[in-house]
Amino acid sequence: MDETDSDRASDRPFGAELTPATRRVDGSRPAGSTPDIEELIGPEQTLEPQIQGVWALQSAVSAVILGLIAGVAFTLLDPGGPWVGVVVFAVVAVLGVAFSVLRYRIWAYHVRTDSLYLRRGVLTRVSTVAPYVRIQHVDTRRGPLERAFGLATTVVYTAGSRGADVSIPGLTPQRADDLQARLKQLAIAAEGDDAV
Amino acid sequence: MKLDPLSVPVRAAESVVRLAWLLVVAVIGSPALGGGISGPVTVVVAGFVVALAYQLVYYQRFEYELTDGTLDIASGVVSRRNREIPIGRVQNVDISRNVLQRAFGLAQINLETAGGSSTEASLRYVSHEEATRLQSELGRLKRDGTDRDPEDATPETELFSVTTKELALLGVVGVDLRLLSFATVLLPVVAPSLRERFGDPLLGLAVTAPLAAVGIVAVAALASGVIAIGNYYGFRLSRRNDELLYERGLLQRFSGTIPLGKVQTLTVSANVIARRLGYASLAVETAGYAPGDAGSQSAVPLAERDRVADLARSVEAFEPLELERPPKRARERYVIRYTVLALLAVGVAFAADSYTSLTFAWYVAVGLIPLAWLGAHLKWANLGYDVQSEYVVLQEGFWTRTITVVPYYRVQTVLDSQTVFQRGRRLATLVVDTAGSSGLTNRQPRALDIDADRADRLREEIADRLQRSVSQRRTRRRRERLRSIEAERPDDPDPVA
Repeated sequence: MDETDSDRASDRPFGAELTPATRRVDGSRPAGSTPDIEELIGPEQTLEPQIQGVWALQSAVSAVILGLIAGVAFTLLDPGGPWVGVVVFAVVAVLGVAFSVLRYRIWAYHVRTDSLYLRRGVLTRVSTVAPYVRIQHVDTRRGPLERAFGLATTVVYTAGSRGADVSIPGLTPQRADDLQARLKQLAIAAEGDDAV
Repeated sequence: MKLDPLSVPVRAAESVVRLAWLLVVAVIGSPALGGGISGPVTVVVAGFVVALAYQLVYYQRFEYELTDGTLDIASGVVSRRNREIPIGRVQNVDISRNVLQRAFGLAQINLETAGGSSTEASLRYVSHEEATRLQSELGRLKRDGTDRDPEDATPETELFSVTTKELALLGVVGVDLRLLSFATVLLPVVAPSLRERFGDPLLGLAVTAPLAAVGIVAVAALASGVIAIGNYYGFRLSRRNDELLYERGLLQRFSGTIPLGKVQTLTVSANVIARRLGYASLAVETAGYAPGDAGSQSAVPLAERDRVADLARSVEAFEPLELERPPKRARERYVIRYTVLALLAVGVAFAADSYTSLTFAWYVAVGLIPLAWLGAHLKWANLGYDVQSEYVVLQEGFWTRTITVVPYYRVQTVLDSQTVFQRGRRLATLVVDTAGSSGLTNRQPRALDIDADRADRLREEIADRLQRSVSQRRTRRRRERLRSIEAERPDDPDPVA
């Protein structure tokens, strides 16, 4: 553990300060290893603009499917023709792009002193507070489309039934790793308790 | 330790019975066999022999052991599985015995933990004595882990036992009143045939509607009464140390423990009938059960409201409720929503009347519009929340009013959401997420349609109070640990150093 950590210390923003995974049970820690919480928290952050591309492409896929369905259906029906499919595709695609842009503008996360705050949603706006004391583990995930755009998602798990809801998409891999490391440190510093 | 040897034939018989439907299909599907029953009998016997052989191997390869800190289970015929379940992580321990198992003196014991999506460990089957021994042993070991009280034989104190009257009432209260609304939906469909019989459609409706309603309620009451008696016959809730123990069931007996230290939320619920009669039910939720596993969480199926409130307070000491209502503009939302629904219903009835051969008294549906106002008011009037010093209490629902008590300490995440319609009225919904399985209502504890600014502040306040209660617990635990170290080393003058 120690070795790999020090090996990777150079490319980890907090690598040099990472506390070992095992803590002393009594909660006190050796002097000097206390993570500086002030350094880990930061101002409100937005996502990378490329995420709009990911979302737009995702909605384009559903636009194609809906367009095909509408096109086939209206070709068979008497009034209308394949052009209905094109119209449906265009409308859904335009809506999808508009939503992607709006969603990107609204999305924000904030690494605060004792909790992670997320704000998101175009039609239904959701603000989530995930206290560090409740963090079970933190994942970084990269889907194929995200990889194509050079993006990653950080997912924070709690024991709650909505645990998987706390995920932050649209980060560069470095930012995602950095956020994962920060959250890990903050969760350790918070001396969590899963309360289950 | 091994399972009870009798579990081998019982399990084999069960798997044969489970495959019985295949047999039924085979017999019905092949009339050539009709001549004799020898064919099916051979299949059954062969199936039983195969199952018996498999279960014998299963029995031989299943071992469990209760150590000081863990329950170890090694199982599996083809793929082996070794599990160690830390006892401190065990949530509920349930014992169930159906008629067959009772005849053989067997019991099934289920262990729930917070992890995973299903029951963590299931011993099928051990003798009933062994099951109760395991249950109380697990309880004892769990206690030893938290406090070092040597006192062991703490007697059970009975908290609640169901009376015959309550059991009968359970049947009445269990009737889902929403069935009545189905009746009103169904009536227009059967209306044409009624019209033929009565000549005047309105007269037909007036005569048959109450009859149909009474009939439906009677059938539903009977059915739910039978279910209630089956489930809750001989229900008994008692407390031993820091565990609740329950027993219930007529044919299939259930008994189990609910650790009080692991209670996530409390839910007091009462439907319209129960409220009228002054009754309510109490559910104690732990993180153990998979969502949808509702039955086992119920702590008190039905009792007088005051008794339920007392019991709930003995588990979580929340203060008397002083509910805050959502602002009046929330009610406008419901008025609009329900009026739109009513207008839609009128439209559908009218369209069906004009464009199909069925004749409806579509104008009757206009009567739904004033009902929309009433419904909106009732929905609004039953909403409420109360932010107390240790708990947040949330109330919702007219047909079934549920009051959920969430200790701040159990909060996992807090979120508030605003739909487009809520934004226009500066309203928001606050959701308080816990690790509880919320199987009973299948709905998360939430304060619906409260003022948006208030929701914003509450979200932060609940998160802050969670921090405070976590650090309080931490301090208390440290103090206890120091004290226990002190107690263990009385010679040491300065145990902290």
